[in-house]
Amino acid sequence: MTNHYPALIVVLPLLFAFVVSGVAWVKKSLCFPLTIVGMGLSAGLSVCLLGRVATTGLVEYRMGGWETPWGIGYHVDYLNALVVTVVTVLAFINLIATRKNVVEETPEKAGAFYSLYLLFIVGLTGIVLTGDLFNLYVLLEVASLTSYALIGMGNGRAPMSALNYLFVGTVGGCFYLLGVGYLYIMTGSLNMVDVATLLPQMYHSSAVVMAFIFCLVGVGIKMAFFPLHMWLPNAYGFAPTAVGSLIAPLMTKVMVYVLIRLILTVFSVDFAFVILKMGDPMVWLSSLAIVAGAVFALAQKNLKRMFCYIIVSEIGYMMGGAWLGNNTGMTGAILHIFNDAIMTLCLFLCAGSIYYRVRGLELDRLKGLFSKMPVTMACLVAGALSIIGVPPTCGFFSKWYLISGGLEAGQYGFVAALLFSSLVNVVLFFRVIEISYYGDFEDHHGHGSSGEAVMEAPASMLVPLLIVSIGLIVVGLYTGGIVNHLINPLLLKQGFLG
Amino acid sequence: MKAIGLIIVVLAGALLLYSTQDFPFWGDPASPAGTHTATYYLTKAFEETSVPNVVTAVLADYRGFDTMFETGVIFCAGLGCFVLLRLSRSRDEDSYYRHVATGITLHIKSAKIPDVSSEFERIDTLWTPYDLIVKTVCRLLAPFVQLFGLYVIAHGHHSPGGGFQGGVILGASVILIAISHNMRTAIGRISEKTIHILMAVGVLLYSGIGALCILLGGNFLDYASLSRILFTNEIEARSLGILGVEVGVGITVMAVMITIYNNLSSDGRLDEGL
Repeated sequence: MTNHYPALIVVLPLLFAFVVSGVAWVKKSLCFPLTIVGMGLSAGLSVCLLGRVATTGLVEYRMGGWETPWGIGYHVDYLNALVVTVVTVLAFINLIATRKNVVEETPEKAGAFYSLYLLFIVGLTGIVLTGDLFNLYVLLEVASLTSYALIGMGNGRAPMSALNYLFVGTVGGCFYLLGVGYLYIMTGSLNMVDVATLLPQMYHSSAVVMAFIFCLVGVGIKMAFFPLHMWLPNAYGFAPTAVGSLIAPLMTKVMVYVLIRLILTVFSVDFAFVILKMGDPMVWLSSLAIVAGAVFALAQKNLKRMFCYIIVSEIGYMMGGAWLGNNTGMTGAILHIFNDAIMTLCLFLCAGSIYYRVRGLELDRLKGLFSKMPVTMACLVAGALSIIGVPPTCGFFSKWYLISGGLEAGQYGFVAALLFSSLVNVVLFFRVIEISYYGDFEDHHGHGSSGEAVMEAPASMLVPLLIVSIGLIVVGLYTGGIVNHLINPLLLKQGFLG
Repeated sequence: MKAIGLIIVVLAGALLLYSTQDFPFWGDPASPAGTHTATYYLTKAFEETSVPNVVTAVLADYRGFDTMFETGVIFCAGLGCFVLLRLSRSRDEDSYYRHVATGITLHIKSAKIPDVSSEFERIDTLWTPYDLIVKTVCRLLAPFVQLFGLYVIAHGHHSPGGGFQGGVILGASVILIAISHNMRTAIGRISEKTIHILMAVGVLLYSGIGALCILLGGNFLDYASLSRILFTNEIEARSLGILGVEVGVGITVMAVMITIYNNLSSDGRLDEGL
């Protein structure tokens, strides 16, 4: 059974998704336990797979038993294994933490909700594990379609933002598909490794160059890379609580993974950096993304929307790191995929439990929350410190790699942007902390009817939140191990330039 | 803004044209797409899967993993439609009944429903008197449409067709009933609950066959390992496995078509929308 892990990580949540959606019409109370089981199995197997990959270096799996260029193969190396573990484990934690939000916000359609939740994870894990360019597109569609539906389940302007996201996201998907189509026309293959062996003789062909640019634009739209980020703040901001904290930490990070995979495995580092010389312009664009995200975040009056713009800024970190063209920068980018997912989950879970008690996330409604919800606010501070980049939280280490990578490459603009956004983050979070620590709690003016006193979030939310916050520090302390055992061997094997 | 859009469109078009200059010639038999994987499929597909239609063999066997997720995409679309559109039934709604013999309409304010006998039928606010000719023709047509749908699913091995096309035809037969009679009649034939369970059962059949292959010792979706329970050789088992997943696809696509139609055309109320 052990050699089936790569397939089972994707297939088990898929099977459970269908069962949940059917069972919802027979016995509703079974939906949540079934989802937990499916998600838990997937997360457990991912951890096992990571262990196997760490020792063997590569795990391959052939769907339907067909050899790879003819059939679809999974090709799991350090990068896939690391990202898939983050995706499944964080989704599992989020599932437990947001149970009460789901009961409250989507009571009637909980079955369909959990089915879509699992399918979203199927999409992401499939994107991460696959070694086939077209299979990646199909799973991208699964992940996108479920996220449109999940975001649309929110209240107020959520359906409108989901529609907006759908339009933009579909365009992004089309660009990626067009890129893959070009590659197929030129090589006749869809398997990543096979395409990579066929490509070098046509690196100077205009069609291959366009294929790369199409893939880059498509993935850029999906990851909300500035200036293609317009859909993100509304979509993530208006989504139901459980959806926001699921999609925000995972979707954009997985798309950064796709980009790194395309550069490292399919098109090769030589093509991207030496032949196309894309490094410098992309790093400048990333610096712009970092600064723009930070400035927009300053203008927000709502906690969740502020976090959304911080994501836009963080995407700039990862893209910049990946395009610096040296080992340190790429290490920082990969490490930041891992760390940023945890940090973002921490922040969104805090926002979720505050919303559960306060019923609003406008900054001036956070007054006095430190005395009312001490644990949640302590976790928010932990997440904030990590976003700012204070040791020993994990955010510090990836930012350290990114900055030293920037200095190595002589990209001082990028380094300046990183420092600027760190300073802005300090301002942002100290404003939040100031309001919630020093402001007096008001039972929000006029709404006298909301009689119940605001108190600490229930334990079912706090325990996962605490786990995530402690994870921030634990992951930070184990950074050396992750870099030495997972990221360095990967970059070494891909022949990444020093 | 319009001008900027125009400039972007022209630029993108120019880029597209520029990129085509290195393409292989149109229909060139020596192009990479025609010589690399395609040659393998064309020469080996029949002897390895015993399916004469190479498209089906590639779709459901060599790249069956993709097709499973394509079906999953359709499932997501159906579920998404349901989640976003379906309104929960409010009990206090007015209801309308029609006395069949006299044509008198009863408007009932509270939720108390009289014994629905053959004398009364439940109607909606947007009820239109039915047309005998349209109704009869469509009722007669529906079984033949369904028979054709089943044929298309089963005959995917030999001719164009398969689960997706057949499923759409099956779904269309129910939609035809809904259009020609009314939605209540169609839902009376196949209820919302049944549709949703069928939707899940179809894809579950597909992925279940895949998982069964793992239990029988093969890789995921390796139909060859089904030969142990189907009492045939491995090549025949591949062909039968493909048929199994095609049936699964057909069921899901049918159910999704019906649920999308029902929810879209009635704004999620599942009463007479059109």
